[in-house]
Amino acid sequence: MSGHNESILREPLITGKNITYAQITDDILLPVENKPNRAWWIGFIISLCGATLWVVAVSYTFWFGIGAWGLNKTVGWAWDITGFVWWVGIGHAGTLISAVLLLFRQNWRNSINRSAEAMTIFAVICAATYVVSHMGRPWLAYWVLPLPNQFGSLWVNFNSPLVWDMFAISTYFSVSLLFWYTGLLPDIATIRDRAEGMRKKVYTVLSFGWTGNVKTWQRFEAVSLILAGISTPLVLSVHTIVSMDFATSVIPGWHTTIFPPYFVAGAIFSGFAMVLTLLLVARKVLGLENYITMFHIESMNKIIILTGSIVGVAYLTEFFIAWYSGSEYEQYAFINRSTGPYWWAYWMMMTCNVISPQLLWFKKIRTNIAATWILSIVVNIGMWFERFVIIVTSLHRDYLPSSWAMFYPTWVDVSVFVGSIGLFFTLFLLFLRVLPSIAIAEVKLLLKSASEQAKLELIKDGHLDKEQVAEYVESLDKFDSVKQEEYAKI
Amino acid sequence: MESNKKYWKGLEEYKNTPDFVENNKNEFAEPLPIEDVLSEAGLSTVTPRRDFLKALGFGLGAVTLAACQKTPVHKSIPYLIRPEEVVPGIPNYYVSTFKGNPVLVKTVVGRPIKIEVNPNAGIFSTGTDAQAQASVLDLYDVSKLKNPLLKKEEKTLWSDVDAFVKGELNKAQASGKKIRIVSSSLNSPSAKAVVTDFAVKYPTTKHVQYDAVSYTGIIKANENSFGKAVLPKYNFDKADLIVSFAADFLGTWISGEEFTAQYVSNRNHKSLEKGKMSRHFQFETGMSLTGTNADTRVPIKLSEEGPALITLYNAITGNNLAGGALPNNVTADKALKLVAKELTQNKGKSLVVSGSNDVSTQILVNAINAAIGSYGATIDLDNPCKRYEGNDAEFAELLNEMNRGEVAAVFFLNSNPAYDSTKIEDFKSALSKVALKVSFSDRVDETSDLCDVVAITPNYLEAWGDANTYEGFYSIVQPTINPVFNSRQAEQSLLIWSDAAVQDYYQYVRNNWEATILPTVGKTWNDLLQSGVVNATAKTAGAYGFSMSLDAVATSIANSSKALAKGNGTDALELHIYESIPMRDGKYANNAFLQELPDPVSKVTWDNYLALSPKQAEKSGYKEFDVVTVKGENGYSIDLPVLIQPGQAMGTASVALGYGRSKVGKAGNNVGKNAFPFTSFSNGTLKYGTTVKISGTGMRDELAQTQTHYSFEGRNIIREATLKDYLKDPAAGSGNHHKHKVYDLWTTDKHEKLGNDWVMAIDLNACTGCGSCVVACNVENNIPVVGKDEVRRRREMHWLRIDRYYSFNDEKTGHDVTEEKEIAHMENLDNVSVVHQPMLCQHCDHAPCETVCPVLATVHSSDGLNHMAYNRCVGTRYCANNCPYKVRRFNWFNYWNDSRFDNYLNNEFTQLVLNPDVTTRSRGVMEKCSMCIQRIQAGKLTAKMEKRALKDGDIKMACQQACSANAIIFGDKNDPNSEVAKALKSERIYYVLEEINVQPGIGYMTKIRNIDSETKEVHA
Repeated sequence: MSGHNESILREPLITGKNITYAQITDDILLPVENKPNRAWWIGFIISLCGATLWVVAVSYTFWFGIGAWGLNKTVGWAWDITGFVWWVGIGHAGTLISAVLLLFRQNWRNSINRSAEAMTIFAVICAATYVVSHMGRPWLAYWVLPLPNQFGSLWVNFNSPLVWDMFAISTYFSVSLLFWYTGLLPDIATIRDRAEGMRKKVYTVLSFGWTGNVKTWQRFEAVSLILAGISTPLVLSVHTIVSMDFATSVIPGWHTTIFPPYFVAGAIFSGFAMVLTLLLVARKVLGLENYITMFHIESMNKIIILTGSIVGVAYLTEFFIAWYSGSEYEQYAFINRSTGPYWWAYWMMMTCNVISPQLLWFKKIRTNIAATWILSIVVNIGMWFERFVIIVTSLHRDYLPSSWAMFYPTWVDVSVFVGSIGLFFTLFLLFLRVLPSIAIAEVKLLLKSASEQAKLELIKDGHLDKEQVAEYVESLDKFDSVKQEEYAKI
Repeated sequence: MESNKKYWKGLEEYKNTPDFVENNKNEFAEPLPIEDVLSEAGLSTVTPRRDFLKALGFGLGAVTLAACQKTPVHKSIPYLIRPEEVVPGIPNYYVSTFKGNPVLVKTVVGRPIKIEVNPNAGIFSTGTDAQAQASVLDLYDVSKLKNPLLKKEEKTLWSDVDAFVKGELNKAQASGKKIRIVSSSLNSPSAKAVVTDFAVKYPTTKHVQYDAVSYTGIIKANENSFGKAVLPKYNFDKADLIVSFAADFLGTWISGEEFTAQYVSNRNHKSLEKGKMSRHFQFETGMSLTGTNADTRVPIKLSEEGPALITLYNAITGNNLAGGALPNNVTADKALKLVAKELTQNKGKSLVVSGSNDVSTQILVNAINAAIGSYGATIDLDNPCKRYEGNDAEFAELLNEMNRGEVAAVFFLNSNPAYDSTKIEDFKSALSKVALKVSFSDRVDETSDLCDVVAITPNYLEAWGDANTYEGFYSIVQPTINPVFNSRQAEQSLLIWSDAAVQDYYQYVRNNWEATILPTVGKTWNDLLQSGVVNATAKTAGAYGFSMSLDAVATSIANSSKALAKGNGTDALELHIYESIPMRDGKYANNAFLQELPDPVSKVTWDNYLALSPKQAEKSGYKEFDVVTVKGENGYSIDLPVLIQPGQAMGTASVALGYGRSKVGKAGNNVGKNAFPFTSFSNGTLKYGTTVKISGTGMRDELAQTQTHYSFEGRNIIREATLKDYLKDPAAGSGNHHKHKVYDLWTTDKHEKLGNDWVMAIDLNACTGCGSCVVACNVENNIPVVGKDEVRRRREMHWLRIDRYYSFNDEKTGHDVTEEKEIAHMENLDNVSVVHQPMLCQHCDHAPCETVCPVLATVHSSDGLNHMAYNRCVGTRYCANNCPYKVRRFNWFNYWNDSRFDNYLNNEFTQLVLNPDVTTRSRGVMEKCSMCIQRIQAGKLTAKMEKRALKDGDIKMACQQACSANAIIFGDKNDPNSEVAKALKSERIYYVLEEINVQPGIGYMTKIRNIDSETKEVHA
């Protein structure tokens, strides 16, 4: 890890002066070891209100039945499955960052993987609540599990994509949780070592007896790599299977082979947007500018342009194939999407997912924090509409025009969705208070090689190519956490 | 072998120190005092007492906790003596009669739960109407009274009622004032005899018959033309050419289901296979069910109906009656010329009918029918229909008599003039001048509310009686259950009040039959109770000529026409008042099944509305569902939502009768608005047309429609051909000539159906869209009624629905336009064609619903059925989403146990209507057509018990047996001789959405229209 010098052409992953290992620990554990500030409380109370709304709306649904939602004989899924797919998709960025980027040795992941993984877990929890609550008889939800039972030889239907989905989501959740928690062990041990009293006891238990000796670290590295290996296919498989909930059906607009890659790209797209939404705020409020730098933000924006464009191509491909297939139902489904009663949802999706992310081609925009934050929210709105468009506009006008119908959400539909966002943020804010939001140990790995101060030392040593140094210094312009005057002297 | 070795557990034991001895003793801290307790001395020790108290405390606590759970008590009382023939699980069938139509009543453990057809009843054996199917629910109506009411006193005894009524009758008798029995047409010979007997005892009695929807016009016209004051027997089956002027003969006109059977016999697949199909022209104002089935339909205004008939008469006879001009309706004029030509070519094989209740109009129709030789062929005056005998003038006269104070007592039998008469307020004030007012009704309805006595009557399923539908055709009404409440038949009350010799109505009916009807046919009472009907040999229908001057008639028609044509065509319109198919005249308004039965044309449930044509709505400036105030000439006004109805004549609006009941019960109160006060009485009959002013209210009221998209978008789900093309090529339009190659992933995975293969064939040319199958399915399968709000949310639960699509003929290109976007640009929307398509679970062999269910709640059977295991369903709704036919229905709520759905099953009494062979479904569960699996099982069991193979026709679906048109054919495809297997071989058969290879099990036969270049020319 350390011990060798990184190319000066690479932008620093940690900025700031006089950063020591102790400084990193102090900075990152600041919210964990101190009383919450006002911003946290405001956020938490609002989120908790949202979570309460969720409890009320879901209880109402459980008590009266799914009729509390706006669904009908034609549109059997709407906000429920839209919300489910949206949340599962958001989760994908966490896995991609923690697993795929680890395998590809993308060290910049070290600063963001912890929060992204936490986001994954909370997003999957939100998605899972939809899986249960959208059922007509949620108290029988366990029937979709292939459990030994006393109903005779009753088994689940392995042909059903919903069963695959159940496997996919539960695997995804358990692996993500395991990966996240394994990564947390050294950091929990750090908190344990600095804590006192009751907190010490709790963190002692949670740290699983982490000692920090070489053997432990070696095993830790090995386990991380294995889990990364297990998680990597999940990045592709989970949303592929979610997409098969639609792709294996006969409904025009759902019955599409392009869905798996298109859904995976969309998931990563929305996941990175959500990571940005969360971390841009966390970075500011928690004072973590030196660890989550402009380089991180820009990198994530680049992924957003890429995946957003893939999604855009997929949208156009769907239209082409609908025309090319010659199937009148397929053709109608797509014409209806763009010009039918839900045209506004379609164009909302197109604008938010395809058009507006193209702004990120401009360096000024992709390195502007406010613009990035707004675009990240726009992307998530767009991705919600994408799922709404796929689900509702395909169902509401399918084969027999006699059954064509409109879907109108009720207050319960809206509350369950808004409430799930509240639930998500409640969990995330609690996470920020009790666990380090950045992987302390992993960030420390970068200090000697990839930090601004290490590179400054190298420049000062003077053995570097001048042009390369100039290029490096120029690249620091965009960093809001780098003091430029320091470099003016050189 | 015993070992004497001793092992010490430790040095302490070896040394046996005093410490060790002490500790050893206390090794088990508190030894259980079992030994102590068992020994007698133990009882007196301290420990058992404390243990006893502990046990007592625990026991008390546990029992208290356990008692907190309220255990339901189910009382089951075993039979001491088993009632004869009542075996749980085995239904009994009894013949009876509903509204003059013979039926078979299915009872299960003493509860009538379903109406079937009586196989002995000739034309009535083909099917029943929706009202008959729904009538079982009326028996279990909680809104009915449990005891008679005397001066609104509840828990009145019959003896008090009898004493009061007799006293008042004696007073009336003494004063010499008039006694009136007011009823709707009474077609029961025994009831008529009772009334006659009553009149003998009280000689001032007169029986006044009036019908809310009256046929007095036809009766009077026949009296005038032929000296026979009768409603003729119409034979639509003998007519090759049918011309109807606003008579909805397949729906509400006289006897819809009977005419349907006749009409369809000339148009169904059997007739088509012989190359024969009747031709049907319809001239009408509003789009009626009959109009939707017509080959050529021409919208005319109400005021044009008379002139149109005069034009037709002139064209046929060559006479020149005045008033026969339709200057503003070129289409009608052209159509009439064509009709006249065809009628002259088809003399003796044609029928002209008119829905008008105007005597002059009907006289003119008689003249036309005489001219084309209908009498003795398609119209039979010698075996007349006895369904309607009402006389509007007599009821009008009754009002005058009551106003003059001449009436001392009035009895209302099966009539409700406070709701369904023309001038309700006048009636009410006149009624208040009568001393004794008695209503025979099962509830406090609008009229009963004004009466001194409500002598509650049983439902027909609890009563004895009879009916005389046609001359010589009699049927019996027999009870299938003891009266549930303390009710008494009206006839019995009249017998008691007139101190008759026989006061038991059963005995009276029997005596009457044994004295009059049975001897003429040589049958016994028991024969009758088995067969239900007596059919005396019909007289030969005579031919009647028409030889009167029509000048006065023409003048009268012209005057009525002028009186109607006052509308300016924008805010003053001609109002067409019609009987709606589900609600009829409003008598069954509290029947939730009927309220939720969509109107076959508009697909509206739970409401009436003002129907305007699309262009009219545009012209008057209203959008669909705008609420408008409709003000009649007599000042009566109501607010109604607008419904855009293609095919409605310009300058007119239509409104349905039967709605707006205020005192009928939970389900029917204040549903829609009462349109009866728009009717008027003139020239001796009631008129169902007037001129109204409409004005906007600025409000909007969304109607609860089960179908909102009206066009089939050019999709090949509907396939049709003209008769000419069909005769050239029976597969015309069916798409059977150029089938695509089927690509199948599962070619090696074929499931053989070794036993039965249950399938259906539906003849789109036979289906008229009436909807009685829908109600039959609801009753048979315990399908929940969800109410107006839920239908509005598109959540009706019907397993079987009838899709209705409009297409419009473009007069320029001659093509049918079926796409919404193109229709929006069309100038002329009058030339509308309609198709009705019954849609239900297609029981696909490659069912898309089956593969997606995560828990295998819906699976395929080896006999071709798509099963639904309710108990296994967790309610993900994926199956419904993936159903291309959208026939799956989800239980959004617990409809039978939720106070918000109070108009249906939410009480134990009404739950008695449930079919015990079909489970009720809980909330959160998917359901759909099971192909009446309970009927299939019952049929199989019967065959097995009788040790024989199943025969074709052993098993009939609920929808199939209710269908008067026999449009639904069900059976075993594996039996090559079955009716369905033969039908499915027809060249007309196509499968809806066959191209997605779900392999549906229901074949549809193409819709054939008897149109040609001449009929198309009409609209050009």
